[in-house]
Amino acid sequence: MRVDDVGVRAFLADSLRLWRVAASVEAGKPPIVAVIRTQEGAIVWVERPSGQAMPFRWLVRSRGAGEAPGSPREEHPRACASLVTLLNTIRGLLRADHGSTARIAPAPPDE
Amino acid sequence: MIPVSVITGFLGSGKTTLLARLLRDPAMSRTAVIINEFGAIALDHDLIETSDESFVRLSNGCLCCNVRSDLMLTLGDLAVRRAAGTVPRFERVVIETTGLADPAPILHALMTDRDLCEVYALDGVVATVDAVTGLATFEHHVESLRQAAFADRIVLTKTDLPGARTTAIKQRLAKFNPGAPIFAVERGAIAPSALFDCGLYNAARKHTDVQTWLADASVAAAGGRAHHSHADKFTTFSIVRDEPLHAVTLALFVSALAENCGADLLRMKGIVHVAEEPLRPAVIHGVQHVYHAPVWLERWPSEDRRTRMVFIGAELRESWIRGLLDLIEAEVADETERCARKSATSHELSA
Repeated sequence: MRVDDVGVRAFLADSLRLWRVAASVEAGKPPIVAVIRTQEGAIVWVERPSGQAMPFRWLVRSRGAGEAPGSPREEHPRACASLVTLLNTIRGLLRADHGSTARIAPAPPDE
Repeated sequence: MIPVSVITGFLGSGKTTLLARLLRDPAMSRTAVIINEFGAIALDHDLIETSDESFVRLSNGCLCCNVRSDLMLTLGDLAVRRAAGTVPRFERVVIETTGLADPAPILHALMTDRDLCEVYALDGVVATVDAVTGLATFEHHVESLRQAAFADRIVLTKTDLPGARTTAIKQRLAKFNPGAPIFAVERGAIAPSALFDCGLYNAARKHTDVQTWLADASVAAAGGRAHHSHADKFTTFSIVRDEPLHAVTLALFVSALAENCGADLLRMKGIVHVAEEPLRPAVIHGVQHVYHAPVWLERWPSEDRRTRMVFIGAELRESWIRGLLDLIEAEVADETERCARKSATSHELSA
């Protein structure tokens, strides 16, 4: 069961609203699944890597607002093993401070 | 007269844990319990092990919003059934409010309704306050302040967790409810005698604001103005899954909720059918960004073995949470298939 590209873009758009980030999401030329453009001019490209990249499922390239093309972040993508890692990566790149680090409290002992 | 105690406290502050623990005490054996949940699916009943038929679940709204109908009818019905012998002869009633409940209308009804007062006497109010998130919750949700201000006894929960601000919360509580003893409690472990049999509720002993709130409730009950609606401020929805979730799906889902929703997600709780553990469900709890590791029940509490999760929050994005679970499930299924294919290929090659 493959994650549908249209569904991924809709989900990323919803994620941006959740993080209160003003940006758009559009389709890209394969293997790019989504291109995120912020109002300030930053761009994030989300790609599906080829099978050779497994177990990584997503690659993320980015260009900061006002940054010239060809920066290291654009040339050398970050690899993400899951959708959850992808979200964290994008959130970090866009400096979306909404949300916080998960804290898992210890479970009560067995009675 | 049958004493009625109210357990209140903000979402995720440990009301159900406290009640579940109290009900295990033999001293609570003759107790009728009324649980009121805010959410489309009632879960707390499943999380409290009891077979007592004097257990009533109200899940079609918040008690404080429907107090004239639901609570009075329920208490009246319980009294009739007790007299007729169709429920055990209970000697106490405990009402667990929703995490968003305003205690004022509930207390007002218990103290002033003529029919109820012939049978029941308000014994006291117990409020749970989360030692980790309590201070922030006081700042952002006035309901939590009101709940603590009304209390005769305050149970400070989660004091054993990192980040607990026990001293600061006690200082804050002392400012608006100096008369209430505060008990720091771990996982609901406290003797019933410490919390119940407070004597008749006396609003005059409480902070001045409490009397004002009770007066407001009196006006609202008389039809003077409409009571507030939680629906204006909070969103609640539930997710039900017929198919079990993989353990890794659950872990990723909970982690992503905590990391992305922040304080928007006030409360999440669920009973989860995990594919790898089909005979026993996992119970998950989250309060804002703090989540507990799953607690595994010994067995399913009912025939219903579906995964059921309830979410309560302010400005929650339901579509995002549903989409998140769908996408993680799809990704995990894809990965599982890929591994199975690779394993089969390896076997063929080695053969």
